[in-house]
Amino acid sequence: MISEATAQRALEEAMRAGGDFAELYMEDGESHSIAMLQGVVENAAYSRRHGAGIRILKGSQSAYAYTVDTSEEALLETARAAGAIISGEGGRTQPFSVYRDVRQAPAQPFSGVENARRIALLMEGTKAAQSVSPEISRVSAGYFDTDKEVLICNSEGLWARDRRYRTRLSFDAVASDGSENQTGGERPAYGMGYEAYERIDAAEAGRTAANTAVTMLHAPECPAGHVPVVIDGGFGGVILHEACVHSLEATSVARGNSEFCGRLGQQIASPIVTAVDDGTLPGEWGSIRIDDEGTPSRRNVLIENGILKSYLVDRLGARLMNHPMTGSARRQGYEYAPTSRMTNTFFAPGRDDEEEMIRTMGEGLYAARMGGGSVNPLTGEFNFSVLEGYWVKDGRIFSPVRGAALIGRGAEVLMRIDRIGRRMWMGHGMCGSRSGSVPTNVGQPRIRVSAMTVGGKGGSL
Amino acid sequence: MKRDMKAYAKELLALAKAKGCAGAEVCITENDEFSVGVLKGSVEEYSVSGSFALGLRVQVEGRNGYAYTEAMEDGERLVREAMDNARSVASTDEHPMAGPAEYPEVPAKPNALEGMSAGDRIELCRALERAALSKSPLVKRVALCRVAAGRGRFCIYNTLGLEAEREDGVSCCYVEPVAERGQEVKDGFAFRADGEAGDIEGCAKEAVEEALNQLGAGPVSPGKYRVLLRNDAAASLLAAFSGMFSADAVQKGLSPLMGKEGQAVASHLITIVDDPMHPVSPTPFDDEGTPSVSKAVVDKGVLSTLLHNLKTAKKAGVKSTSNGGRGSAGSPVGVRPSNFYIRPGEEEFEALKERLGSGLLITDFAGMHAGVNGVSGQFSLSCKGRLIENGQDVRAVNEITIGGSFTGLLAQVEAVGKDIRFSMPGGSCFGSPSLLIKEAAISGK
Repeated sequence: MISEATAQRALEEAMRAGGDFAELYMEDGESHSIAMLQGVVENAAYSRRHGAGIRILKGSQSAYAYTVDTSEEALLETARAAGAIISGEGGRTQPFSVYRDVRQAPAQPFSGVENARRIALLMEGTKAAQSVSPEISRVSAGYFDTDKEVLICNSEGLWARDRRYRTRLSFDAVASDGSENQTGGERPAYGMGYEAYERIDAAEAGRTAANTAVTMLHAPECPAGHVPVVIDGGFGGVILHEACVHSLEATSVARGNSEFCGRLGQQIASPIVTAVDDGTLPGEWGSIRIDDEGTPSRRNVLIENGILKSYLVDRLGARLMNHPMTGSARRQGYEYAPTSRMTNTFFAPGRDDEEEMIRTMGEGLYAARMGGGSVNPLTGEFNFSVLEGYWVKDGRIFSPVRGAALIGRGAEVLMRIDRIGRRMWMGHGMCGSRSGSVPTNVGQPRIRVSAMTVGGKGGSL
Repeated sequence: MKRDMKAYAKELLALAKAKGCAGAEVCITENDEFSVGVLKGSVEEYSVSGSFALGLRVQVEGRNGYAYTEAMEDGERLVREAMDNARSVASTDEHPMAGPAEYPEVPAKPNALEGMSAGDRIELCRALERAALSKSPLVKRVALCRVAAGRGRFCIYNTLGLEAEREDGVSCCYVEPVAERGQEVKDGFAFRADGEAGDIEGCAKEAVEEALNQLGAGPVSPGKYRVLLRNDAAASLLAAFSGMFSADAVQKGLSPLMGKEGQAVASHLITIVDDPMHPVSPTPFDDEGTPSVSKAVVDKGVLSTLLHNLKTAKKAGVKSTSNGGRGSAGSPVGVRPSNFYIRPGEEEFEALKERLGSGLLITDFAGMHAGVNGVSGQFSLSCKGRLIENGQDVRAVNEITIGGSFTGLLAQVEAVGKDIRFSMPGGSCFGSPSLLIKEAAISGK
């Protein structure tokens, strides 16, 4: 990492252009990955990532430049490149005075772990998946870890340091009857060192992946229609992530591109809905100690009893929206300027009985495991895929169904949530947006939506 | 830290040899990128960068191991990590490296932004926003308006004496206007790339039409519909399923095309070509240094070849089809398409619309990363477009899904347009004409 004096000179160079704020972000870290197929290691790779980015703000303008060369000369050049489009009187750079060093070492750093131990985890999950059924034709497994140091400093005198480490396993199973394939996957992940594997049960993850694949192999096509939908807890919270919270990010709201613009204090969801984004949960995959602008992470209540309480706001968003910063600025790495993003986002537990919500739903879909999705915040139109679904008739699970997708508009679906269960848990994902791909958790208890459009290949049951 | 990359690569190769590697290869990427976003006439986002990255592949006891760095200061560490990784590999599949070869001459790709100053590019971006705002009184703002350009250099050096270097550039402009009518808000999107990246009028007009075409949209009732898949939507679906044509996926049992070589996998009207020398993005060699080869992957409906790199070709006993791909300089070598497209047919788009009779014109899919399963070959996707009755455009459609299998859809193709269009430039380019589909399953309300 660079010295305070070098950083100071780079910030001064950036401010000389005429901005009112300058920030330097630098990262240096390494990662390991291993890919296994059918219990045989196919690939192993090591990466060292190293670079810095300089951002200059002037009012609502943002200029950004980055470099992998972090010599002082290159940083000054990068500052000038960012400043090329900013004009005006040079602003002042405060000496560093706010020191925020939140670095913590992991209990078990990845650098001390032999590949053989990582491979053993993949093998354990693979064997467990294969043992689920002879119909499991392929199991792919992946291991990933990353450990990086970051420096964030700015012209207002902030000098912040953090060390960030995460790890993830993935198991993807294919079930085949010789003529067709169905898949299932599971990806446990934590924001921890190698000690994460005291929590992660690789065998359980492998079995979960395989069970979905086998269940879907024997499932008929999902009927299409507009019906009640029960979405299970954990990764089911992707509905909150896509249908609502992307549209609460300053990235969309600050420029008027969200269906939830100007709705603070108004009811945007059913009164049983409370939604939270909390980056402070220790060791979680989506957690951050400080955000990528150096602001401490915090618990943000976004919706309370159906009322919109807060947006997710970064520094630029705060300027445009006249809204406090929420510790939500994130970026994939130095190639991206930070913007407002989610951390661990979930529906808070409610009071409803998990069994009752299926018993009283009549005919509809029970989405036991969700896949990914996307949203257009401007219109609120979202979509996501169902990895493992069941058709419900007369309040009873009738048959597994494959190929289901759920679509709708965020504002509508939030108002139609009529049940929220008592037990909340989270799933782990990667979220892609303007500032790249960042690790996020999604979570919820089991919930029910009174009506949603279910898409599929139009099976009949 | 600035240094001669080629010299550093040679040092690493020598070091790997000295440490006992049977072979080694260095892949270097250098990129310069520029992007500017304008809103309400002023620069909202501006980004410039210069980057380089180095990937090392070593061969130890017949196995490949990889290491990657952006900080070129610790060669010993890099070689050690790569060797450790090679020793962790258990797969015995041989992955040879390419030796020196003759490369075809490829024409330079046109680039409308080449040589343009940053100031001129910013002006172009402002003009694009103004053009979009001028196209309709219903468009009062744009959500996004960008001009971007990049130049890249890609080099591979290995211990077999390969020294392959190529350069390429991309440029584009894109805009997302917002149309508002009463309470209704809709956005549209269009881009222009490379030789056409300066066509702001065309880009603005198309984007505004896309937004206006969504006003008044609503779902249709679930059922089977005849479908006209517009060229850009068809190209994005082809892109999403292109991975199933990879020999690597097939050999790993992760593609529905396993065992289908030589068999019909689509209507006889469908020919899918992978041509690295196509003018949309011509390249002399792939990411392993194999000279470019043009081939039909699906020939009149029959799967004629899969896409191979040196490893999958060796395993299958065939030649590499020049589809070696690396996600980054340090990624294990995989397979990727080059310029991958459905060959255009004879029909005008309007004629296809007439032949559709009554059905849906689909213009856009959403959620491709989630709604497409490359292993099963199935998809269930949110989409939008227009409802057509008796050849007449009736109204906008949204909040519907289309489901099926990719090869099932290709088997149902009744006619192929002449209007081929390529997607936004990226690592691979995907193109398709509009496709008339006999029947597809649609969900709505």
